[in-house]
Amino acid sequence: MKLIHYTIGRLSWVLLLTMAFWTLFFYFQLLNEVRDETDDSLRNYKKIIIKQALRDSSLLTSHVDILTRYYIREIPEEAGKQYEERFVTTEAFNEYEMDEEPVRVLYTSFRTDNGRYYELTILTSTLEEDDMLESILWSIIYLYIAMLICILVVTQLVFRKSLRPLYKLIHWLDSYTLGKKNNPLENKTKVSEFKRLNQTISEMAMRNEKVFGQQKQFLENASHELQTPLAICSNKLELLSENPCCTEELLDEIGEIHQTIGRIIKLNKSLLLLSRIENRQYGDEKDVNFNALISRINTDFNLIYAPKELSVEIKEEGIFSFRMNETLSQVLLTNLLKNALIHSPNKGIIQISIRANEIVFSNTATDAPLNTEKIFLRFYHASDKKTESTGLGLAIVKSIVDSYDLQIHYFYDGKHHFSLKKIR
Amino acid sequence: MKILIIEDEDNLRKTLATSLEKERFIVEHAPDFQTALSKLNDYDYDCVLLDIMLPDGNGLTLLQELKKMHKKESVIIISAKDSLEDKVYGLDVGADDYLAKPFHLAELHARVKSVIRRKQNEGELKIEVENLKVYPDRHSAFVGEQELTLNRKEFDLLYYFVTNPGRLIHKGTLAEAVWGDCIDQADSYDFIYSQVKNLRKKMKLAGALPEIRAVYGFGYKMCYGNSSTENEK
Repeated sequence: MKLIHYTIGRLSWVLLLTMAFWTLFFYFQLLNEVRDETDDSLRNYKKIIIKQALRDSSLLTSHVDILTRYYIREIPEEAGKQYEERFVTTEAFNEYEMDEEPVRVLYTSFRTDNGRYYELTILTSTLEEDDMLESILWSIIYLYIAMLICILVVTQLVFRKSLRPLYKLIHWLDSYTLGKKNNPLENKTKVSEFKRLNQTISEMAMRNEKVFGQQKQFLENASHELQTPLAICSNKLELLSENPCCTEELLDEIGEIHQTIGRIIKLNKSLLLLSRIENRQYGDEKDVNFNALISRINTDFNLIYAPKELSVEIKEEGIFSFRMNETLSQVLLTNLLKNALIHSPNKGIIQISIRANEIVFSNTATDAPLNTEKIFLRFYHASDKKTESTGLGLAIVKSIVDSYDLQIHYFYDGKHHFSLKKIR
Repeated sequence: MKILIIEDEDNLRKTLATSLEKERFIVEHAPDFQTALSKLNDYDYDCVLLDIMLPDGNGLTLLQELKKMHKKESVIIISAKDSLEDKVYGLDVGADDYLAKPFHLAELHARVKSVIRRKQNEGELKIEVENLKVYPDRHSAFVGEQELTLNRKEFDLLYYFVTNPGRLIHKGTLAEAVWGDCIDQADSYDFIYSQVKNLRKKMKLAGALPEIRAVYGFGYKMCYGNSSTENEK
C-alpha cells in the first residue's frame, strides 16, 4: 500500500464519520428551527384571530384557505376553564395536492365577553420531513464526493512536491548494492527531517562500505599470509618423507599430516577464490559453450569417481552458451558436477539435462531434502559432515552465479536437483 | 647447475635448498633484495627462484634489473599471489614460469628441470631415465626404440615420475598435478592406484628398467639403477 493511498483512505474515513454526525446534527437543528418558527406564527394567528373574533362575533365561524385554516367551536364552561394550549404535528388532507400533507396544529381556547368558551384550532402546513431528509442527504453526499476529490488532488500535489526527497531516497536505496560502485546520494531539500534522513543514510552506507571493504581485505590478506607457512609445512613434510630413516608407520603418519595440510591449503585457496569473485577480479569474458565444458569435466571426473560406480547421463536438448569468464565457468560447472557426484550414494544416478537456457543437475538422494536457505552459505554442511568437502563449493557456485545474469536454485522431489538458469 | 633462491622466509628458503641439493644442484641463498641484486651482478646462475614480496623491494623490479643486465638466467617466480593477473604480469615481465605458494617440492623439481632443459637444448626436449625416454612437448614416451601407448593421464603421471626420479611422491601431490582443479576436494585417492597400476603394467611389458614402486599409505616412487638400492633400506 502506498503512503498516499493510505493517507487518502484514512482521510476519507474520518471525513465520512464527521460528515455523518454533522448531517444528523444539522437535520435536527433545522427541524427544530422550522417548528419553532411555525409555532410562533401559529401563536401570532391565534392572537389576531381571537382579537378579531372578540371584536366581531360573526367571525366565530371556521375559516379555510391554502395557508391557514382555523376552526372555532363552542365548548362547555368546565372544559374551557381547564383547557390547555398544545401544539401537535399531524397529517391533513390537502385537496389541492390530493395528498396527505404534514400540518402543525395549535389547539387553544378563549372566552368571549359574554362568558362563553370557544375552542380554536389553527392548522398550517409545515415542512415535509421525508423530503427534507432526502434532500439534505443528497447534498451531503455531493459535498462528500466533492471534498474527497479535493483532498485527492491536494494530497497528490502535496505528496508529489513535498515528499519528493523521500521518493528519491527510496529510489537510491533500491539501486544501492553493497560492494559495488554506487552513485553518491544527491538529494537537495529544505526540510530538516529529510536532511537528517539523507545524512544518516549516507553515513550508514559509508560505514557499511568501509566494514565490507575491511572484511574483504582481511579475508584476502589472511589467506595470502597463510600461503607461505603452509608451503613450509608441506615442503618440510615432503623432505622428511624422503629421509631413509623413516619407518613405514612414520611414513603413514606423515602421509596423513600431509593430507590434512593439503585440505587446509584447499580451504585457503577456496576462500581466496571466493573473495576474488566477490571483488570482481575476473574480467575477460567470452562465450562459453557449457555443453562441451560439461562433457570435458565429466570425462575428468569419470576416473576419479570410478570406484563409486555412478552412472552419469547427459541429456542435451539444446546448447547452453553464456558470456562469462572462462575460468569461472569451469569452476562453476566443476563444483556443481562434483557436488552431485560426492553426494550420490554408490551406484547412484546423476542426470544432467541441458536446455538452451537452463541446466539441471539431478542426483539420487539418500537423505531428506536439503535446507534451501542454508545450502549456499559458507561452511554449511548437511546432516553428516563429509570429510572430502570444504563446505565452500556451493558458496562459490552462488557467488559466481550472483556476479552474472544467472540464477541457481535447489529443489527436491525424491532426488536433489540444482537448476542453473539464465535471467532474461 | 647453479640455482639462486631469493626468498625472505628462512624456513622455506632452507627447505627448498635442501630439497634441490638432493637433486644435485648447487644452491645459493639470498634473503633480501640487496643481497640478491649483488649476487646476480657477480655470478651467473642457471635458474633463479624469485619471491615477489621481499622486505626491501619488489621481486619484479629485480626481474627487470636482471633483464637489463642481459643475463640468460631462467626465472621461476614463487609467490603467495596466485591470481591470473599476477601470473600473466610476471610472465610478461620475463619470468619463465610462475609457481604459486604453497606448492609441492615434486612440482618445483619438475618446473626447475623443465626451464633448465629448455635453456640447454634449444632443439628437442627429452628426459631420459635409463632406457626410458620421455618427450614432453610431443607427449610421447619410449622404452628403447619401442613407443609406449599411454593415455593423457598416464603420460602426465609418467612425466611427473621422470622429473622426480628416485623421490617419494605423495599420492595427493600426484593427483593434484595430474587432475588439477577437479581433485580439489576429494579425499579418496583410490583412482590413482588403478592409473599407476596400468602405467606400471605398460612399462613392464615394454621392458623399462625404471620401476614405479608403491610405498604403502603414502605414495609412489620411481626407482632406477643405483637409486633403488640407495634409497631403500
